[in-house]
Amino acid sequence: MGALSKIIGLAIAAAGAFLLWWGLTPEMEGLSLILFFLGIILMSIGSSILFSGKSRSEKEEEPEPPTVTELQCQNPNCDFKEIRDFEKGDYILKEMEQRCPKCEGTMMIEGIYIVRKEEEKPEF
Amino acid sequence: MQFGAEPNEFSWIINLAFFAFIMIFSLYGQKIQMWQWLKQIEMGLIELKKMAVESRQTAIDTFKAYGRDVEFIAKEIDRWSDFFTIMPVDLDPSGVLERIDHLFEQRSDRFKEFVAELAPEATDSEKLSLENTLEVAQVLGLIFRIVRHFYILGKKTGSTIIVMQVQMQMPELLRLAKAYHGAIDAFAQGKPIGDTIGPLIVTKFAREYGATPDSYVQEVTREVGYYKIDVDRRTVYVVRATGPGGTVGKPGFAIKKLVDEHKEKVTRIITIDAALKLEGERMGRVAEGTGAAIGDIGPEKHAIEQTATEQGIGIEAIVIKENEEVAVGVMDKRVLDAVPEVIERIKSAIQNRTKEGDYVILAGIGNTIGVGL
Repeated sequence: MGALSKIIGLAIAAAGAFLLWWGLTPEMEGLSLILFFLGIILMSIGSSILFSGKSRSEKEEEPEPPTVTELQCQNPNCDFKEIRDFEKGDYILKEMEQRCPKCEGTMMIEGIYIVRKEEEKPEF
Repeated sequence: MQFGAEPNEFSWIINLAFFAFIMIFSLYGQKIQMWQWLKQIEMGLIELKKMAVESRQTAIDTFKAYGRDVEFIAKEIDRWSDFFTIMPVDLDPSGVLERIDHLFEQRSDRFKEFVAELAPEATDSEKLSLENTLEVAQVLGLIFRIVRHFYILGKKTGSTIIVMQVQMQMPELLRLAKAYHGAIDAFAQGKPIGDTIGPLIVTKFAREYGATPDSYVQEVTREVGYYKIDVDRRTVYVVRATGPGGTVGKPGFAIKKLVDEHKEKVTRIITIDAALKLEGERMGRVAEGTGAAIGDIGPEKHAIEQTATEQGIGIEAIVIKENEEVAVGVMDKRVLDAVPEVIERIKSAIQNRTKEGDYVILAGIGNTIGVGL
């Protein structure tokens, strides 16, 4: 529907532009004003159809990215880190029963977060 | 172009069209504009209604796991959606903060009572998160009903000023509603939100200095406790609300209580909180300043300021900038990445602005959903 309405809008606006141009030609002396106004009206209708619809900010929002849980080994000499999907019951600073596969140290939830899309950089 | 041409057989059409245009727009221009505004409000209302209905359903789905049947929950949630709080009279401002605090305690008690009735099998921590879920559903329902009220009223009375105001505020209302709508999933599942950054930072700071869940002193004031740690020979009381259930507690009164206990020994109060960023600012940007960073309605901020002024205690704040959507939605990675920087700033504040033997109160302000002790 979106593409079709854009095509219709473009066609009407183009027809309006043609009438406007036609009205300006010397041979249309008698009808020039009528064609001129008709052309303007058609161009207005066409462009309003062409540019109607949801703006970028109103468009269907993308679904929120998945929430992830970041687990980290608590052994200061081990840098093992695991990122997995959030599970109900997870909370930050929760000590896990599972052990570090690298050094058998205790694992703790260091963060629960989502990575949202970066905002557009401001012009100024 | 033929505008200057002699009149011809078609001129009457142009004249008629011209006068019709003038007549229609001078007599009905405002009505056409009103119609456009009402249509825009209608579109916004459809979206607000969708969010209100979805949040109600999420609340029902969340509560049904705790021992009550769906019909009972739906009926009770609908009854509860009309719950209101009447703000105290401020014509005589004397004692208004105590009265506000009293009313909000009563409100909180009623919420707790209601959640306990609706979710008898939930743990204390889960009950706190359920309270938040209920509050979000209630807020979304309220926004929808208020906007609908002004839409119908504007339509009924034909008042341009009512319709115009609602239409102009609609983008902001939708932004707010979308932020809360996105947050209900976080509250329902107990995920940390952007506002939890304050308690999270102070807890991580306390852990660096040996604090453990067992060393947390519970219930100094309602749902707030502290860790007592030693940082470079200064005694630091790290205040935060209990968790991992969702509560903000009353950290302001906890700070006042600690100052009252230790009087002149306390030389500095540091508050850590999330703050709304300005458009164009980087998410998770850290800023610091003077004053109490606490976004309550007044009583707690007043308590901190009053006690700090009376005792001549230095008071400073470190904030982490985020927008509304992130503050009430699931924790954003960029906000979480600010933790090390804030911890460094806390260490520097303690080292540079306090002496050995001083007592410092460090308070993490915000909701504690999804943040363990």
